Amino acid sequence: MKRLFKSLFLVSACAILALGVVGCGEKKEEKKAEAPAPAAAPAPAGPKTIIFASDATYPPMQYMNEQKEIVGFEVDVIKAAAEKGGFKAEFKNVAWDGIFAGLASGKYDAISSSVSITDERKATMDFSEPIIAIEQMLVVGIKDKATDLAALKGKSIGAQIGTTSYFVVKDVKGFKAIKTYDEVGLAMEDLVKGSIQAVVADSPVAVEYTSKKYADKIKIAGVIKSDKVENIGIAVKKGNKEVLDLVNKGLAAIKADGTFDKIKAAHKMQ
Amino acid sequence: MSDTRIIDVGEGAAIPKRDDWGLFNAWTISIVGAILCICYLVFFQPTPYRRIIFYLADGVIITFQVTVISIVCACVIGLITGLGRVSKNKAINLLASTYVEIIRGIPLLVQLFYIYYALGRLLNVHDLTAAVIAMSVCYGAYMGEVFRAGITAIDKGQTEAARSLGFNTKQTMFLVILPQAWRTILPPVGNEFIALLKDTSLVSILAVSDLLRRGREFSSETFLYFETFTMVALIYLVITLLLSKGVGIMEARLSHYVRH
Repeated sequence: MKRLFKSLFLVSACAILALGVVGCGEKKEEKKAEAPAPAAAPAPAGPKTIIFASDATYPPMQYMNEQKEIVGFEVDVIKAAAEKGGFKAEFKNVAWDGIFAGLASGKYDAISSSVSITDERKATMDFSEPIIAIEQMLVVGIKDKATDLAALKGKSIGAQIGTTSYFVVKDVKGFKAIKTYDEVGLAMEDLVKGSIQAVVADSPVAVEYTSKKYADKIKIAGVIKSDKVENIGIAVKKGNKEVLDLVNKGLAAIKADGTFDKIKAAHKMQ
Repeated sequence: MSDTRIIDVGEGAAIPKRDDWGLFNAWTISIVGAILCICYLVFFQPTPYRRIIFYLADGVIITFQVTVISIVCACVIGLITGLGRVSKNKAINLLASTYVEIIRGIPLLVQLFYIYYALGRLLNVHDLTAAVIAMSVCYGAYMGEVFRAGITAIDKGQTEAARSLGFNTKQTMFLVILPQAWRTILPPVGNEFIALLKDTSLVSILAVSDLLRRGREFSSETFLYFETFTMVALIYLVITLLLSKGVGIMEARLSHYVRH
């Protein structure tokens, strides 16, 4: 009899576990539709603090300097926008892979990490007005003669995981391998040491790496043509109008009074 | 004494054995649960689970490859290290001990980075090769310690008996000591196998397209984090359970040597 109880207990425990897993899967769908939860603790007075998540491995857009501060073009833009838009900007270094999951679960208010505005992303999050337009560039070894993706058939190619750079190559057939890296710097490093033959990256990053760090080892082979303009913007949780309005207000203000152009010139952005 | 119950002292505390509950043991429940979950999700919620499992398929193969090759290499390295650790030759002993001390003192993740990115400039090893080298070198050190413990656990009388029967040192080790040691070693080595399998998920940082990396690629594109990682976890669980069963069967086979 005791054995029977034991077995019954185990079977039911197993069933509950199984149901739990399935149940959670269904619940997630409902959560998406729900209105966003209010931010953790509203600031009592003064300007609102907005926490921006930023993957600081992306020079020159956002990276860590030797003082362990997050710096870069986009950081400067946000800081200037914060001044004009009347909010306080705080940056948090978050790994790119999973940065969107963190936004969805409310760990921070916005993402400032060279996020390209795409239709797929718009479905799960809201974007500010575009900050700057970028292109996808192909980076190859200094002696390589390839100028486009077609010339790289049978070769290995790399890109950062979950970026538009990866989306550009992932459906192209004929590569020996498409490797996804956690950081764009690791992809460049692998290209330099010859494990892969090409890297696709956002134009500012491609320019940075080919002109500074590895100027004598890798070069830009060309731009991957697209019929759509690719803009980067600030991502916020779907429906978070409060943060979005503040960011947009700040961005509009710095674009109007010329601060934006000054920052752009200071960082030598095209 | 009328009580005829046999208490098996050699087996330690009187806890129920693995198969005492017939079908309802931890292993069966876990694997049936995991497989049922996978089947349910794939067949009754084909979107997105069927897409996920197809996307993950080649990652499973890579994970499996890395595991099997690393296990074989780590066993060989472990045996050599273990023998080196009990060797009377000072140079060999020192070499083996230093290897174990160094490798055990560096986290596997750092070793992976080191072999692939730091040494990469000099050696330029392929990503899978780097993964296998790092896994085998790291686990070789751990297994070396297991082998050493197993060898030293064999009673000294065995060596004395073998030697007095005219066996030389090599014969004593390979014909008398190791076959007996293997029995003691197997459970901890089995644990190492399983730990190794789980640690192969670390190789995804080398951009090796293993199970975890495939899961991350899929989720970063579709934002289906919950669904993807549920599937990844279930697949890892099934593989690990199968491996642990394999080790269990091997253990049972080898226990024929034990006198009852």
